Amino acid sequence: MAQHRMSSEAAQTAAREIGRLTILRLTVYYVMAGILIMCLSALLPLGSIGPIPAEPPADMQGAIEWFKGQVAMFPKGAPVWLDALFQMIAAFLLVLPLAFVYVRTRTRLKFDHSLIQTVIVLPIVVTAILVVVRDSLALAFSLAGIVAAVRFRNTLKESGDAVYIFGSIGIGFASGIHAISVAGVLSVGFVVVELALWKFDFSAEFERTFARLCMPSGADMADVPGYRGEPEPTPAGNGAGQAHPDRDGAGRSALLRIYVDQVDAARPKIEAVLERDAKHWTLEQIVAGTGNTPELTYRVRARKSVGLDALREHLLRDAAPHVVAADAPES
Amino acid sequence: MSTLSPPVSERDHVVGPADARVTLVEYGDFECPFCGALHPVVQAARKSFGGNLRFAFRHFPLRSSHPHALASAKAAEAAGEQGKFWEMHDRLYRRQTELTDTDLERHARELGLDVDRFRGSLGARAHEVRIREDLASASQSGAKGTPSLFINGEFYEGPLEREAIFAALARAALAVVP
Repeated sequence: MAQHRMSSEAAQTAAREIGRLTILRLTVYYVMAGILIMCLSALLPLGSIGPIPAEPPADMQGAIEWFKGQVAMFPKGAPVWLDALFQMIAAFLLVLPLAFVYVRTRTRLKFDHSLIQTVIVLPIVVTAILVVVRDSLALAFSLAGIVAAVRFRNTLKESGDAVYIFGSIGIGFASGIHAISVAGVLSVGFVVVELALWKFDFSAEFERTFARLCMPSGADMADVPGYRGEPEPTPAGNGAGQAHPDRDGAGRSALLRIYVDQVDAARPKIEAVLERDAKHWTLEQIVAGTGNTPELTYRVRARKSVGLDALREHLLRDAAPHVVAADAPES
Repeated sequence: MSTLSPPVSERDHVVGPADARVTLVEYGDFECPFCGALHPVVQAARKSFGGNLRFAFRHFPLRSSHPHALASAKAAEAAGEQGKFWEMHDRLYRRQTELTDTDLERHARELGLDVDRFRGSLGARAHEVRIREDLASASQSGAKGTPSLFINGEFYEGPLEREAIFAALARAALAVVP
């Protein structure tokens, strides 16, 4: 029996545009967050630890205290739990824009749902740990021992995702040592740089020109009248991404990305074919945003008597003209 | 934006129906590693788009950096003379490290070609002329290197990745009223 379930729907814009509304929202958010943090800090008796000398003292302990006085505001007489709560709220407020930027700048296939939760929760945990450890060397060593005992191994979908983890830890760390201003600067700086890199698609043009093409030299085009190209060096590379042999996916589930003209018109026809030719199928995703080619992504297990290749042909034939392509990206 | 010149005609090596909604043209070099990496994407596109896609291949051998490129292009043409251009095309892309003269003869033998005829037609003037015409059309069309793709006559400037190419093909297909 076919399963009918839609786990998620996404609407994305293909163009790399940061609307004014996005910038306005972020600005308003930061202003509100700043006001809230200041209000909270006003409730707590915060302040620097004593008078701060202009130059750091020569001894190590004195230098550490001087540094803390420069960047951090410590509560005077507030209970530890209240202090921790304040720092954690600040960390939470400052990391939310990072999560927003992650969602905004990632494409559907590069999107990691669990990473967003990690980015939001991580600084809160880091802040709490630092509040507990404070200046205790013994506690710091204990923490290192615990971390060493627990293996944190996870493969991120994108290498760029690691930056968000580091950004999140940075905000948590800064909040944990009461350097809220540093956390704020990190948060704003991170958001601005990430959005700018995404907007201008930094280095994509160079990738296209130098990393993905074999360029002709003058000798190649010597016989060609009118050729005016500049000779270019041949880029290094060995053509990674070799083909997987084509496989007929009967008997196991396969992802099927179907490009359509209109989602509403195509879906009943596609699902009629799946109902007939698939043992199980699940609608995984719909992309129907402005500027995007509408796509429907299904997880399909073709009937053994049909096979995945034949199922794709049937989709093109029976759901025409709404279906223009049925890709099996895992094949 | 660069436009394909001349457009796809009967002289081209074409696979797919003439009334397909999208025509994809590749300027390729059998020894180019990036063309080799693109080959499975094109194969997948042919499979995924079915009758909606027509694919044409034009030669763009970069002799200075790829010593076997021209001979491979001629080998594909010689195979084409015996009706097996696409079989040789696919085989050369799949075996880019086996493009010496001996290898090319072996490919011909394993494809079931008449090897003597194949060997004789490798140096045919007609093949050279055809390859030179393809090179001229690459220059005229604004192809910057290999692989260069044209979708419905327009130069494709996006990344050479499956998802991006498929999306561009789908957009082009949807722009055409069936």
